[in-house]
Amino acid sequence: MNQIRPTDTALTDWRQAALRFEAEIAKAVIGQERAIRLVTIAIFARGHVLLEGDVGVGKTTLLRAVARALGGAYERVEGTVDMMPSDLITHTYLAEDGRPRIEPGPVLRRSEDLSVFFFNEINRARPQVHSLMLRLMAERSVQAFNREYRFPHLQVFADRNRVEREETFELPAAARDRFLMEIGLEAPTDPGLRRRLAFDPLFHDTDALVAGIAPDVIDQASVAGIAAALQHGIHASPALEEYVVRLWAAIREPAQAGIALPDVAMEALVQGGASPRGVAFLIRAARVRAWLEGRDMLLPEDLRAVFAETMAHRIFLEPVYEMRRERIVPALCRAVLDTVPAP
Amino acid sequence: MSGRAITTPRHRRPLRALWLAALLSAGLPSPAEAQIGTVVVRSPRPFGLFVGDRFAATVEIEAAEGFAPQAASLPKPGPLTAWLDLTRVAVAPGPVRDGNRLWRLSLTYQTFYAALDVRRLDVPAFAVTFASEAPRATTSAVAEVPGWPISVSPLREIQPPPVADPVEYMRPEGASPRRDPAVPRTLAGGFAASALAGLALLARDRAWWPFRHRPARAFAAAWRQVRRLAARRDAEAAYREALLALHRGLDRTDGRRVMGEDLAGFLARHPAYGALAQPLDRFFAASRDAFFGRDPSAAQRTCPFPDLVATARRLAAAERAARGGGAA
Repeated sequence: MNQIRPTDTALTDWRQAALRFEAEIAKAVIGQERAIRLVTIAIFARGHVLLEGDVGVGKTTLLRAVARALGGAYERVEGTVDMMPSDLITHTYLAEDGRPRIEPGPVLRRSEDLSVFFFNEINRARPQVHSLMLRLMAERSVQAFNREYRFPHLQVFADRNRVEREETFELPAAARDRFLMEIGLEAPTDPGLRRRLAFDPLFHDTDALVAGIAPDVIDQASVAGIAAALQHGIHASPALEEYVVRLWAAIREPAQAGIALPDVAMEALVQGGASPRGVAFLIRAARVRAWLEGRDMLLPEDLRAVFAETMAHRIFLEPVYEMRRERIVPALCRAVLDTVPAP
Repeated sequence: MSGRAITTPRHRRPLRALWLAALLSAGLPSPAEAQIGTVVVRSPRPFGLFVGDRFAATVEIEAAEGFAPQAASLPKPGPLTAWLDLTRVAVAPGPVRDGNRLWRLSLTYQTFYAALDVRRLDVPAFAVTFASEAPRATTSAVAEVPGWPISVSPLREIQPPPVADPVEYMRPEGASPRRDPAVPRTLAGGFAASALAGLALLARDRAWWPFRHRPARAFAAAWRQVRRLAARRDAEAAYREALLALHRGLDRTDGRRVMGEDLAGFLARHPAYGALAQPLDRFFAASRDAFFGRDPSAAQRTCPFPDLVATARRLAAAERAARGGGAA
C-alpha cells in the first residue's frame, strides 16, 4: 500500500493527531469505533453531522466528547417546539433597570470563534429554525443586527432521536442535504461492553467522563487548511471516477442497474435525491477516510465505508415507500455497493 | 486316408487290424523284450503335406511297470534323412493298465521333400530302449517303432477342366448364423449413453461448455479468460483485463463485490482458498496500483503477469477441489 509521500509531512502529523483524537473519544464512548471514525471523517471533511439513535445510547456524550477534544468555542441549544430563529440569534431579556435588552444569542455570542454548534433534538424545532440552520450550515454566515456574521470554523452537530414522533418536525429535504453525514448510533452489542456500561461508575457520570478527555487535541482553527490540503493530496484515478459515476447512476436508477429488493417495485422507488452536492460530499468524506487509513489514493473501500452515512439521507423515495424508509434505504445502499463492480 | 485310419481306428476297423498285426509282428516279444507291450503310431494327418510343412505323430508304447525310456535312446531333434527333420521330441508317462504303463512320445517332423507329384514316403523307423528303474537293475528292453507312410503333394495349381458354364465350380457360401442385433444395439446404446454421461460429468467438473457459466465455477471462467489474455500482445491492457476477470471471479464466488479490505472476511467465508491468502493479497495490492494508484506500472512489479496467471490457475484448482462432485 502506498504511504503518504514524505513531502506531505504536515498531513502525516495531522493524521497522528486525528488518530489521537479518536483514541481520546474512545475513552469516553466505548463500543462506538465506527461512529467515532465517521465523526472524525466529518471534522476533516468540514461537514455537518446529524446523529440519530435511540434515547440514551450516548449521542450527546459523543458530541460533548468531540467538542471537548476538538477545542475552539462551543455552543449548545436544545430544540423545542416553541423555539424561533430569533432565539438562536438574539438573547432578549429585561435588565436590572427594567428596560428590555437585546444581546447576541447563542449563535452570535462567540461570533467568529464558534467552532462547534451542538443542536440537541433538532427535530423538535420548527421549520423556521431549520431554515436558519440551512443558511448557517450552507454558508457559515448569518444576518443579524444589520450586518453579516461569518463563522469560518463552524461545524454543526445535531442529534435527533427516532423514537418519538409527536411534536416533532421532520427536517426538510434541503436541510438534510446540508448535512455531510447522518450517523446512526446503536447501543453496543458486545456483552462485555454492556456489562461495563451498566456497572462501571465511570459511565454513570457523564460530566466526569467528558472531563477525563484531553482537551484541544486538534486545533480547530487549522482544520480548514488541512482539510483543503488533503482533498488535493488524495489521488482519485479515472477508474475510481467511473466507479463513482456508476454508483450514482445505480442509486438513481436501481432498476436499470439490475437491483431488486423484496416487495419493492424498483422502477417506482427513488423519487429524487443523491444530489451532486451529496456525491461531492461522498468523495470528500471518502478522501478523508483514505487519509486516515494512511493512503494517498482513493479506493472503492473508502467510498463504501462512508456511503450509507453520506448518501442514505439524500435519497428520497416515492411516498408509498417513505414509511418503510428505515428498512428500504439501507438495503438499497447495500445492494448498490454489492452490485456495482469495483473496479 | 490310411493315416487317418490310424488315428481314428473305430471307423476303419479292418485297417486297424492290419496295422496292429504289422506292429505286433514287429514288436513280437522275444525273451529279452517281454517287458514291452504293443507299440502304436498315431499320425493325425499323414497326407497332403507340402514342402516345409510340419506334421505331428504320437507313439504309444506299453512297457512293464518299472521300466522307463532311456533319454539317450530317444530320437534326437535334427535331420533324419535328406528330406526329413525331426524338430521336437517329448515323452510323457501315461496311465497304468494290467501292469503295463503307457508311454507317449510326441514327435514333430518337418518335411523338405519338394515333390513333383503326389507320392508316398516312409518316415524312418526307430527304436527306444526302456530300462528298469529298480536300483542296480541292468535289465533293459527295446521297443521297435515301425516307420509309417506319409503322402506328400507338389506345390502346383490344379487346373480344373474347362466347362461351358463355370458356375458349375461356384459353391454356395457356408451358411452364416443369423445373430440377433438387438443385444449389441442395446449394449452400444448403453455404452454411448454412459460415455456421454461421463463426458457431461467431466464437463461439469471442469466447467466446460455448456457449464461455462456455472456460478459455482466462477474461478474456472476467470482462469480461462486470464489464460486467453496472457497470450495477447498489448500487455498493459491485457493485464488490466486479467485483473478485472479475477475481480469478477471473486465477486461471483462471494455473491457480492469483494474489495481489498474484505480479503480476510472472504477467506473466512471460503476456507478453501486459505492457502492463497498471500497471492490474493498481492493481487489486491496490484489491482489498487493498476486502477487507483498514481503509477499504474507499479502493479506489474507487485504481481507480474505470470504470477497473476498462476494465481488464477490455483484459484480454479482450489475451487474445483472444494466443489468437486457438484457439492457447490
